[in-house]
Amino acid sequence: MHIYLDCKTRLVASKVIDAGTGEYDFPGKPLSPDPTVSQRYKVSIRNLEAWFGPKQALMDINLDIKENTATAIIGPSGCGKTTLIRCLNRMHEMTQGAKAKGRVILDGVDIYDRKVDPVVIKRRIGMVFQRPNPFPTMSIYDNVAAGLKLNGIKDKSLIDDIVTESLEKAALYDEVKDELGRQGAGLSGGQQQRLCIARALAMQPEVLLMDEPTSALDPIASSKIEELIHSLKRELTIIIVTHNMQQAARVADFTAFMYLGKLVEYGPTKKIFENPERELTERYISGKFG
Amino acid sequence: MTRLLDLGITKISNIIMDMAKLSERSVITAIDAYEKGINAKRQIFDWSEQLRILQDEVADLAIELIARYQPVATDLRFIRSCMEISYGFSRFGRYAYDIVDVLEATGSTADCDKSVVLEMSITVREMIHTSVQALQSRDKDAAQQLYKKDDTVDALYKNYLRKVLTANSADKSAASPRCYTSALLILRYLERISDHACYIADSVHYIVTGESSPRR
Repeated sequence: MHIYLDCKTRLVASKVIDAGTGEYDFPGKPLSPDPTVSQRYKVSIRNLEAWFGPKQALMDINLDIKENTATAIIGPSGCGKTTLIRCLNRMHEMTQGAKAKGRVILDGVDIYDRKVDPVVIKRRIGMVFQRPNPFPTMSIYDNVAAGLKLNGIKDKSLIDDIVTESLEKAALYDEVKDELGRQGAGLSGGQQQRLCIARALAMQPEVLLMDEPTSALDPIASSKIEELIHSLKRELTIIIVTHNMQQAARVADFTAFMYLGKLVEYGPTKKIFENPERELTERYISGKFG
Repeated sequence: MTRLLDLGITKISNIIMDMAKLSERSVITAIDAYEKGINAKRQIFDWSEQLRILQDEVADLAIELIARYQPVATDLRFIRSCMEISYGFSRFGRYAYDIVDVLEATGSTADCDKSVVLEMSITVREMIHTSVQALQSRDKDAAQQLYKKDDTVDALYKNYLRKVLTANSADKSAASPRCYTSALLILRYLERISDHACYIADSVHYIVTGESSPRR
């Protein structure tokens, strides 16, 4: 739909002004592409470290993520998976006492560069959480439209088109098209999660972070989300944190295994699950610890 | 704590080792039958059938383990390889039966020169033993030893085939068609057993390394 692309341009255009340095056309013309990082990757993580107060949660993470792929991050509880993806759209720094060091490079630009507006980053890198969290008092329509309206889009027909397309892409439209005025909180858990995905898609992200998106869902609803991941990666780059190794094996093109804040192994999912390099990876994915 | 998957893997390992012993015994008995003129057809048929049934059990169990526990890494490679290895052992049994079947069809071979067959049988028995040992000890390098022996076996077979093709019926020292036919067929079955011993060692290499064995 052309209108969707037009909308993206407008959304981008609405946020190109950086308060400190003047104009900054982040999505179109990166200010300073990092020459040390290959432009082949959508996201490159370099020497990333993160803390919660004095406690270090991530240690020297280096990772390159290709565009239009799904990457799973696996590892036992507390290994830093969620912290890692929260660093990828600068949500980590929103936690009191939390800080991050290192570089996260999106299309050649370090998102931690002081010239970069975190709000733009959060739009370009959307996120879906473990538990579906639709705005409880809003209708299905308004849940999807909320971000657009907050960003100053007032054209009703444009918003209608984006809401419809986002719900279609989230594989929810057919189920709710006749009751868009119904409260989002009244949907089933699986539908609520797809509504949250539609809400994220409405902002036209280029990367979608998913933090255990099916852990609260039944197998059928989980299966729909997995199918969705498969179809969405044609347009997006997806990074999913999951405790379910079979889910990682099913949906991910690449898998990263983390342990105690470190990246232990990263590679094609087939390689990780059939013939991992590291014994620690083998022991974890085989269920021998964790 | 024992993983539930480990119970299945232990069970499938036990079946595979039972097949190893039974298949090795079948081949040794068939060669003895040729060498000593013993009728072992009924016995080897029963063993061959048992091996086929055990092969089906391995396949069923492997599919069940994959479906129920979604094994990965070494577990997955082992289970996949067990299906291939069980097929190899099942073939040992089948070729052993083919050998005694040939003996029944050709009649007594008491007056035949058995030296080539017995020479090859020594190598093939060693190969079977090596493949079973490789499986037990997860010896990833056994395949390379077996390839060399397989070359020897192939050469023996091809040389004998040439000898049969060039035999002169007028030559009174030449063996009878009965001797040639029985020896040639048995050599062919032994040569196939030799191939399957290599395949078993290939599977062991894959279990251990996750890579296909470097082919000759």
